[in-house]
This record gives sequence, structure tokens and C-alpha cells, in this order.
Amino acid sequence: MPENVKTIEEVLLETGKYIGPTVGTSMLPMLKNRRDTIVVKAKTERLKPLDVALYKRGNLYILHRVLKVTDTGYIIRGDNCYYDEIVPEEDVIGVLTEFFRKKTHYYCTDEKYLKYVKKRIKHYKSRRFFVLTWRKIVAGVKKPIKWILRWDKRKK
Amino acid sequence: MKIKSGFVLRVVGGENVVVPVGEMSKTFHGMINLNETGAFLWRFFSEEHTVEEAIDALCSEYEADREQVEADVNRFVDVLTRNGFCE
Repeated sequence: MPENVKTIEEVLLETGKYIGPTVGTSMLPMLKNRRDTIVVKAKTERLKPLDVALYKRGNLYILHRVLKVTDTGYIIRGDNCYYDEIVPEEDVIGVLTEFFRKKTHYYCTDEKYLKYVKKRIKHYKSRRFFVLTWRKIVAGVKKPIKWILRWDKRKK
Repeated sequence: MKIKSGFVLRVVGGENVVVPVGEMSKTFHGMINLNETGAFLWRFFSEEHTVEEAIDALCSEYEADREQVEADVNRFVDVLTRNGFCE
């Protein structure tokens, strides 16, 4: 395999565009880990709410959605996340303009896509409530089962 | 000859770009830009074919000089092989 690999930031600086695979689950169900392809353009102006920002956190590159634009940066959250992040303007290096989901090519200006985004944002609070409640229920059920299994083992 | 699985050819703004998917994206961190002929050959070698078959296919597709096509295909195959893209 070729060895002279450049970072995403370097590619964006040189060509103004980065095309690559998605990694992680934070943008599910829109982008699936290592299946889909993203097209990110270098940031040339301030992002708008609902844009998907590519930003740097240490050595990590993160692709999450802008919820709010502040004076110094953005409030950002992954579509599949349940917490907000405060990201300074200078950490944002690009914006998602297109993506391939399975074999389908979507533009971030497509009506269908924008409809999906608005729906995803709109139902965030109810989704958060159900997901977090479900997680608590699962954890609550798992604990006594673990205790019983441990107690059973000791008995034997 | 056949190109390894784990790559997809995407057309973005008229450009042909090959990017890794699945397990391949853990080890290959990059993208490959191809011209029109390169994209044709990439698609052709996505299934098992010989270099001779690729030359014939390219000649019939582009009606180009056979000697030139032979040289181009051999160079393309050489780059693929040297960089470990072939099975």
C-alpha cells in the first residue's frame, strides 16, 4: 500500500475536498461505520445550523451536526448522541456536502435529506427520553441477574 | 487478475475516486483518483479478467491504438500490483 499518506486536514488544505470512509456510530442512522463514504469541503465561511461539521479534537476528526451557532463557535451533536459539545470556530475545518449511503449518492442540499434532518432534530427529546430510559431498564435488569449468577456460582 | 475487495469507486463532481470500505478502511487510509480510463479498468478488474481481456475491452470501448492501449494497461496493472491492490 502507498506510504505517503496525508492527514485529512492536509488534504483539505491542498485540494479543498476530502473523500473518505465513515468511522464510528455517532451519525447513525445516516452514516454507518466503515460502509458509507463522505465528501467534505474545506470550511470557507461560518457554518449554519443543521450543517454537518468536520472538526478536530486532539488527533481525532469528528463529524457531527451543528445545532446552534454561537459568537465563538458552535453547539454540535452527533445524530446518534445524547450530549452536546461546545466546539470553537477554529477547530472546525470542513463541512459535509455530499455522502454515499450504501450505493445512493446524497447531496446535503437534497430536499429528502433536509426533511430527514429536520425530523431527526425535532424528535431528539422524545428519542433521548426513550433511549436513556431503556438503557436504565436494561441496566436495572442486568444487575440482579449478575448477582444471582454470582451467588449461584459461590453456592456450587 | 482481480482487484481486492474492500474498495468502492465513487464519482464525485465528475471525478472518479476509489475509497476503502469495511475492514480495508482500517489499514488503507487514503483515496485514489482515477481518470476515465483508470475508472474503466478499475471496474473491469473488479471481476476476474486477464490483462489481454482488458486490452481488448479498452480497444473496443475507446477505438484507440492497440500499442498505446497495451502500454497504458500494463502501466496501470503495474501500479495496482506494486501497491498491493490485486488479489
